[in-house]
Amino acid sequence: MGSWLTDKHIRFLWVANLIILGGAALVSRGQFLDPYNFQSMAKQLPEIALLAMAVMLAMISGGGGIDLSVVGIANLSAITAGIVAKSVAAGQGQGLEFTLVFVATALLVGTLCGLINGLLIARAGFAPILATLGTQLVFVGLGVALSGGPAVSLGYVEPFVELGNGSLLGLPVPFLIFAGVVGLVSWILTRTRFGFRLYLTGTNAKAAYFTGIKTPTILISTYTLGGILASIAGILIASGASSAKWDYGSSYLLIAILIAVMGGINPEGGSGKMLGLVLAAVALQMLSSALNLLGLSNFLKDFTWGLLLILSIIFTSSWTRFSFSPGRKGPS
Amino acid sequence: MKRKTLWIAAGLAALAVGVTGLVLAQKKYTIVTVVKITGINWFNRMEEGVKEYAKETGNNAYQTGPAQADAAQQLKLIQDLVAKKPDAIAVVPFDPAVLEPVLKQALERGIKVITHEADNQVNTLYDIEAFDNVAFGARLNERLAKCMGYSGKWTVFVGSLGSKTHNQWADGGIANAKKYSGMQLVDAKQETADDAEKAYQKAKEILKKYPDIKGFQGSASTDVAGIGRAIEEAGLNDKVCVFGTSLPSIAGKYIETGAVDGIGFWDPKDAGIVMNKVAQMVLEGKKITDGMNLGVKGYEKVSVTKGPGQGFIIRGNAFVDVDKSNLKDYNF
Repeated sequence: MGSWLTDKHIRFLWVANLIILGGAALVSRGQFLDPYNFQSMAKQLPEIALLAMAVMLAMISGGGGIDLSVVGIANLSAITAGIVAKSVAAGQGQGLEFTLVFVATALLVGTLCGLINGLLIARAGFAPILATLGTQLVFVGLGVALSGGPAVSLGYVEPFVELGNGSLLGLPVPFLIFAGVVGLVSWILTRTRFGFRLYLTGTNAKAAYFTGIKTPTILISTYTLGGILASIAGILIASGASSAKWDYGSSYLLIAILIAVMGGINPEGGSGKMLGLVLAAVALQMLSSALNLLGLSNFLKDFTWGLLLILSIIFTSSWTRFSFSPGRKGPS
Repeated sequence: MKRKTLWIAAGLAALAVGVTGLVLAQKKYTIVTVVKITGINWFNRMEEGVKEYAKETGNNAYQTGPAQADAAQQLKLIQDLVAKKPDAIAVVPFDPAVLEPVLKQALERGIKVITHEADNQVNTLYDIEAFDNVAFGARLNERLAKCMGYSGKWTVFVGSLGSKTHNQWADGGIANAKKYSGMQLVDAKQETADDAEKAYQKAKEILKKYPDIKGFQGSASTDVAGIGRAIEEAGLNDKVCVFGTSLPSIAGKYIETGAVDGIGFWDPKDAGIVMNKVAQMVLEGKKITDGMNLGVKGYEKVSVTKGPGQGFIIRGNAFVDVDKSNLKDYNF
């Protein structure tokens, strides 16, 4: 493939990451390079990046694809799983059962939520933005109703807490889970027939349909996969916080969309690479942690993230090539 | 293509330089105060206290907090701080349950943890409460009783029956009113869902049901605003007494018209100073004992009791009573 350097989004993101890393190391007088800081960042990154991945899949599928319900799915999965796991495996020494029941329930709820999104979009023909805006409210409402409002406290259950807090060979467990998911989803996108058909559907749904691709099935599978990814994020959030609540991560949706767009995922469908998404998520995480390390205002974080997005648009859109390099004609 | 890479580098370098603004000078102790959300009046007022403390002691004390009201964002911010490893953190938890794992990590990493408004927090060394909640409710009721001439029908609102502090305030008030045989409690603990509109509706219902009602006690900060509006519409400013927990920014205009007679709260500025002082004492190896004077108004003779974890709960007597006469002194 060799696209890891030739794609202009990816190239921009590599440069951005290197500059942020270098700048942060310099300004913090090396404190940023402390291994503990990298572990901390690697622990924080996965939940938001998984949500962004769900948004990315919806965007690739085209037709104005987007998933606004990811945070709702994450929390509803975690709340339901918390209630079920607590009632099934509450006893001492049942930590493993608790963890398995929790993970299975969360994944099941995520699958169902994603399936509902997919059916609304592919079968009922709703615009994705409207369908998922509606389901977001429904999922949040269900979460409030199930939990009654306050957090569902999960307590300190081994090995459940390890999912969000533990580390293995110096790497945080959530990061390892994330790495596994990244590998699996990029394999699906680049190496399977489904992935190929997804990109085709996103590029031109009508043409794809007439070549014999069952585009509704592709859409339903895509949103279902998004639901599963969101529920994995929900599991990590719940484990990291030892509790589940309807409003956790309520600020994550826009950040997830920001990561997807900055990662070079075309909101019009048909293109976007996993590497871009991961690099964008890493860049935002490093910026955010660097600002916290320096004790600067969190409003500055929003500001720098916005600035980075605008820079990424400027440096990767086609018209700027001509305005910034007047001496050169034609494609480079 | 090289020139474009240069442009990218230049743009991002500018970003990094912008961040360079603040280089932290190494001082005696680094104490970071983490609030629920940045940029609202309540925590701006707290920051005044943190800054005053930093100026007086020369310690590197500063305040930070998420830009969005989201428990997950506060969690990430504290994770970054744990990596940064300041000497102490003073946290006002958005949701104590969420922060248990990260505060545990902070303690394990040798960071001193102080909390405020979280008497159920397990992983803290000292939790600071401005006052005993029952005593605060009794104090509000005493002002109400005096205004009512110690006789007549009165009622008390709570935001929700599930809110621990609201119930403690209401119970404190009810117990206080029992001292006076003329005080007759009617329809106690109506729920207002922390919503001024609900409080307004409930107050109108009560006024209809008991035309001779003489007093209202509110618990949610929005209660007295809603009650005040109902009283004003009924033209009963001088006939009905209204007291409750609230802030000048919420209840101010009704205090000016006399629809609300007085409010009570605690000053976040003082709480900010006390948190930092306690953090410093812990760092110096000192213990905070029952009856100690922390040198801040309202915290001259604190009570110290065992908390739910290894730590202790410090309670002051930091009541602030506001009515028409001193409304102008408080800008939050």
